[in-house]
Amino acid sequence: MRRPSLSAAIVLMLPGAGFIALFLAAALGMSLLQSVGYYNMTGPSGFSLQYWGKVFSSQVWDSFVYSVWIGTASAFGTLVLAYPLALFLRRRTPWNAFMNTLLRVPLFMPALVAAFILVNIMDYNGLINGTLVGLGLIEKPVRMLRNEWGAIVILIQIWKNVPFQLLIIASVVQTIRTDIEEAAYNLGAGRFEVFRHILLPLSMPGIMIAVVLVFIGAFGDFAINTIAGPTYPPPLAVLMVTSANLMQEWNFAACIGVLIMAVSIVFVFLYTRLARAIQEAEA
Amino acid sequence: MSDLAVPAVPTTAASARPRLRAGGLLAGLTTALLLVWVLVPLGMGLLWSFVDPSHSWSYPDTFPSALSFHNWSSVFRVTNVLGAIQVSFSVAPLATLLAFLLSLPTAYLLGRYTFPGKETVKILILLPIMLPGMVIALFLSPLFSMLGLAQTYAGLVIGHAFLGIPYMLRILTVSFEAVPQDVIDAAENLGASRWTLFAEVFIPLIMPGLFAAAIFTFITSLEEFNLSFVIGLPNYQTIPTILYGFLGRHFIRTDASVVSAILMLPNIVLLFAAERFLKTEYLASAFGKM
Repeated sequence: MRRPSLSAAIVLMLPGAGFIALFLAAALGMSLLQSVGYYNMTGPSGFSLQYWGKVFSSQVWDSFVYSVWIGTASAFGTLVLAYPLALFLRRRTPWNAFMNTLLRVPLFMPALVAAFILVNIMDYNGLINGTLVGLGLIEKPVRMLRNEWGAIVILIQIWKNVPFQLLIIASVVQTIRTDIEEAAYNLGAGRFEVFRHILLPLSMPGIMIAVVLVFIGAFGDFAINTIAGPTYPPPLAVLMVTSANLMQEWNFAACIGVLIMAVSIVFVFLYTRLARAIQEAEA
Repeated sequence: MSDLAVPAVPTTAASARPRLRAGGLLAGLTTALLLVWVLVPLGMGLLWSFVDPSHSWSYPDTFPSALSFHNWSSVFRVTNVLGAIQVSFSVAPLATLLAFLLSLPTAYLLGRYTFPGKETVKILILLPIMLPGMVIALFLSPLFSMLGLAQTYAGLVIGHAFLGIPYMLRILTVSFEAVPQDVIDAAENLGASRWTLFAEVFIPLIMPGLFAAAIFTFITSLEEFNLSFVIGLPNYQTIPTILYGFLGRHFIRTDASVVSAILMLPNIVLLFAAERFLKTEYLASAFGKM
């Protein structure tokens, strides 16, 4: 591949990457500045750490714990389904093509539609509760929506993200050469040993990327959390939006935004390291 | 690996390759479970949009006792869903076009040239879709206000293009990389100008990738909630912001099911119509495998 001249590189880089960089810098810069008191919409502007002082409260801590929980449970809950599927789909069965098509459906389903169709069956008077009551297994419907652990939020995230994780993991798993496995079997290794010492370590980068990306999405999610999440604690993104839009406390909202962003960026950094590791392993 | 180095136990050919024995029963069972997992919620959601409001649907009825288009007509009569459909379906192609025009030069650079820091750039361009959408949307709104783009149609198009560019860039980069160097050399030897090279060699060869990228950007725009919520409302409603209004605190099942059906329809159609274009490598590169 050729090397571009510096001027050509800059001119070609600007429309695509430059546009993205401008918008990201604007959003990140604005949240950082507002979080330390600048661009105050309702009062005097100027450097102040008072808004960060408000972040260190038990209410924000509850929100933080909830959002970390949602991110973690969604990421690993999805993995529990996606990883076995990725390994299973390495085999050639007559059902592969059909399963792949079926799994594309949630991938292409808008998050809000996924939220609706799952709330619809898990609601107080939805299919699941109705059937359980009708069969006499429970006496009255169980309230799963808006419970403090965000059960339905996690279910929606898992439903939506299984194909997404599967895609990422499968693209790594499919590069594992089968002759390594064959060799291990020939040397008398059992299925579990092959999994533990060959498949798992070789698919680890894909697994970690899949977990990181779903964590970031679920951790900072707003829409699904307002639809199916608890009233208390408010999920971080919900706390941020209500502070800004309803309370007009933009500076406090900015602190929450910076907090969400900071956690996400740590994970993005982790992701870039993993992506590099995979690239080097493939090369 | 050390405990694998135990003396080899003599094995028969069959037991040496258990992974080739794809259990037919297990595969069938997995398929059946997936079918339930994907299609039962989907089918229930769709069916609810046709439930006649004068006959309720609950246990033990496995199927609604009366179907009608009543919910559909009432949603179109009472809400602004028609306006939202117009906004969504006109913003999406414009945002796709804008994202394409902005991405083409950068994707060409990333796909055909090498320079220090290229790999970092390829990862950084994914940030708009990796970082939490609501934080970005909320704190982009001051910039949009300053530029006079807040609550405007142009603002929606530009915002949606911003979220489509990562897909465009990543998939077009892969497509540019895949153009064989000898084809380019041959064209150059035959005296092709830069413009001819681009129009006659690159553009036709990146077409399948462009098609996949356009589908992604189009769908991303149709689905986008955060930016539309912050930038578009209250002047411009899109299908997702209408749907959002029927979910949440005031859950209106029948209306939500109608709008859900409207929102998912184009995705399902595109998914099946474009299946052969949506190769796994495009999907993987778009979703950030590296």
